Amino acid sequence: MRTRLLGLALAALVLAGACTGAGPAVDTSHTLTVLAGSELKDLEPILPDIKKATGYQLSLKYTGSLDGAEAIVDGSDHSDMAWFSSGNYLTLLQGKSGKITAQQPIMLSPVVIGVKHSVAQSLGWSGSTKVTWADIANAAKAGQFHFAMTNPAASNSGFVALVGVASAFAGTGGVVDSSSIKVDRLKDFFSGQTLTAGSSGFLADTYVRRQDTIDGMINYESVLLSLNAGGKLHEPLDLIYPKDGIITANYPLMLLNASKRDAYDKVVSYLKSAEAQRRIMTQTGRRPSIPDVQPDSRFSTQLLVELPFPSNLDVIDNLILAYLDQIRPPAHTYFVLDISGSMDGDRLNAVKKTFDNLTGADQSITGRFARLRSREEITIIPFNGQVVDDRSFSINDVSASSPDLAAVRRYVDGLRANDSTAIYDALIRAYQDAAAAKAGEPDRFYSVVLMTDGENNSGNDANGFERFYNSQSTDVKAIPTFAIIFGEASPQELNDIASLTGGQTFDSRNVSLPSVFKVIRGYQ
Amino acid sequence: MSRILGIGLAVVLAIGVVVAIVVSFTQNHNQASTHLTVVHGVIGSEKLPFFQDQDVIAEFHARGYDVQVDTAGSRAIATTVDLSKYDFAFPAGEPAGIKIQKDHKAKAIYQPFYTPMAIASFKVIDDLLKSQGVVTTVNGADMLDMHKFLALVAANKRWTDIPNNTTYPAGKSIVITSTDPTTSNSAAMYLSIASYVANSDNVVQDPSQADKVLPTVAPLFTRQGFTLSSTEAPFEDYLSIGIGKDPLVMIYEAQYLAHLAAKDGSIKSDKVMMYPNPTVYSKHTLVPLSASGDAIGRLLTNDAKLQSLAVKYGFRTSDPNAFSKYLTDRGVAPPPQLVNVIDPPTYDNLEALINGIAKLQTQVKGG
Repeated sequence: MRTRLLGLALAALVLAGACTGAGPAVDTSHTLTVLAGSELKDLEPILPDIKKATGYQLSLKYTGSLDGAEAIVDGSDHSDMAWFSSGNYLTLLQGKSGKITAQQPIMLSPVVIGVKHSVAQSLGWSGSTKVTWADIANAAKAGQFHFAMTNPAASNSGFVALVGVASAFAGTGGVVDSSSIKVDRLKDFFSGQTLTAGSSGFLADTYVRRQDTIDGMINYESVLLSLNAGGKLHEPLDLIYPKDGIITANYPLMLLNASKRDAYDKVVSYLKSAEAQRRIMTQTGRRPSIPDVQPDSRFSTQLLVELPFPSNLDVIDNLILAYLDQIRPPAHTYFVLDISGSMDGDRLNAVKKTFDNLTGADQSITGRFARLRSREEITIIPFNGQVVDDRSFSINDVSASSPDLAAVRRYVDGLRANDSTAIYDALIRAYQDAAAAKAGEPDRFYSVVLMTDGENNSGNDANGFERFYNSQSTDVKAIPTFAIIFGEASPQELNDIASLTGGQTFDSRNVSLPSVFKVIRGYQ
Repeated sequence: MSRILGIGLAVVLAIGVVVAIVVSFTQNHNQASTHLTVVHGVIGSEKLPFFQDQDVIAEFHARGYDVQVDTAGSRAIATTVDLSKYDFAFPAGEPAGIKIQKDHKAKAIYQPFYTPMAIASFKVIDDLLKSQGVVTTVNGADMLDMHKFLALVAANKRWTDIPNNTTYPAGKSIVITSTDPTTSNSAAMYLSIASYVANSDNVVQDPSQADKVLPTVAPLFTRQGFTLSSTEAPFEDYLSIGIGKDPLVMIYEAQYLAHLAAKDGSIKSDKVMMYPNPTVYSKHTLVPLSASGDAIGRLLTNDAKLQSLAVKYGFRTSDPNAFSKYLTDRGVAPPPQLVNVIDPPTYDNLEALINGIAKLQTQVKGG
């Protein structure tokens, strides 16, 4: 009996082995890699359901939408699928290369304006369906409306808001083109922007932190709805849908690896099922993309006029560059750079490479947007056991031969590494400088970038810095520090600095320093 | 000890059973496959649901064929797709089909089904356009007068320019949403219609006529801004996002009818379908590239089962009664007999028009 059973089992196994060997080359992997926008993190609770229904596990890798599009088109990313809030930019960037094999919109969220209820009331916007982008520009210009919006060069919500407001001001009824970018009117509008960020999620978090000094925020309807439901707001946000039009994110799931077609079809068919659509709506506050599931009572039934999106990459480039060089409130960034002994060699060379890129060497699309921009002020504070120097540069000329950019490059190139590490003394210097600068020019975006490869071993300690920071005015405390974990830096030390100041840490232990700086530029 | 061995054996046995089931399934499949001739085709994406239909697959199997399809834009099939690995090409439009036939010296072409171009819209929009005399009802079908429509576009009229418009107060230009003419057949069909109208009701016959009508027809596309490359995409947006995005969408009649007949709840009473007047038929054109591809063309044309299954996807076939009956059985009013149907330009003339539009699209920037 025993022998017989064993014999049967063995026969089955042998058969299985033979079959596997002879069968066609079918990809049996049940993990699908997805390059995704960071705003899709809120879908993570739904991933197990997708696996249960389809047998496929989606493995999401997060990135910014422009960065992601660039990585897909230049071939440096090999994900099976892409999932961003919009596929338009990738579609334009891919040209005729056919990287996108299929795409299906999964859910919808318009980019709209959340306005504090009391402010909306005093501006006459509360409950109104007649507010236009021009009304908002007028309120901003009059100093009655201060808002947060992400950087259009880094994040889709800011990008489509810029396209929306530019189309509305173009006044042609059609799509905005480079000749109809109304810079003066856009400057009025963006004179009200007092907070920027590199991602929609960070923007929402920072809004919560600084809500008493800001009147509202441009973001996805879904983000605004979840903030209102989240219990962290002192005052709810009224959602304003400008009458002249908005742009809706439709979150297409895009197939890049054609050999995964069957898996893709299964996943899409589940995601478009009524069950999944209801779950997504409830969980994430996004509107369903199928007509059989009706949006619930949280969603406005106002007619949402959808504005056309540019068909041309040059228009998009020109619009973003106009925003960066002419329209937005300019930035003043304090680069606090460790030049202690351990930075000698490759590490300091990486810093130099970074500044080469920021002053024009990086010719990629995202590299051009990350470059130092016109009207920008930067202050470089190199430090070792003490603050070594404190040098400011004004950027006006952003051409290839710009002397302004050359001066920055030359200065960083001349840095030499030695001695110990006084992180907090250098940070305190940056905040002292920034406090003075902000008193004189309050309308810039101020931030500190701290790059260090070691732990503090000289001068003030963390407590000393915290005491200093807490003694500062609200205006100064609103200046975030973006800290880069490099080499043997202490993640804990830097996380503490970031969370104290409302900034964020970026890990450069496995990612090149220039690419981390590029991401941070989206936050400035 | 013996208990542990027993459990171990049971596990092995269980695995054995599972494996055996998979094997037998695989073997069955393989056995079936050995009887079937595998045929590879490249088709326009709008026909994928048809080729994925279990009944269609079963009928091909019953006839001895396992048809494997890839999808691509119809214009891409005629130009950039490497056709050497396919037994047949099956673009949506006749011009692309004829071009492939010429390039590959195919003896025959098959046109097993066709569908007229139509416009998916909304009751509110229909009423507004009727108030302007742009849409009229002819024999129960709403027809959009393309001459009057081109006049609206020439004057860059916006929805808010329509007098007494309280129902759709959108300040954007009046356009019909289409796909990208440089990649997609449905936009090329729209361009065929518009160029005919702009050319004083004549099919564009040569490149000089194409140049002449370009300024009139180009705004239909450039004013839309970004367009998608697959005909499914704008129709999806129409169904899901609705009137705020695309009040008028150029589609294949088949797309609309398939949803109506399927009663999937996607076409509610606020939606309507109208026809451009004149309109054009998109004749799905199969070009055989091998003997087995030729057999598929024959089957699609002559096999009664396949012809009747095509009707399920909203396609019109050689048997108008089957089409009407299928729809009537599902409570859908059969669409009208269209009288004002024009021919598209030849492939080369259509190319001249498309390239002209493409050039203007890249110039829509001003620096």
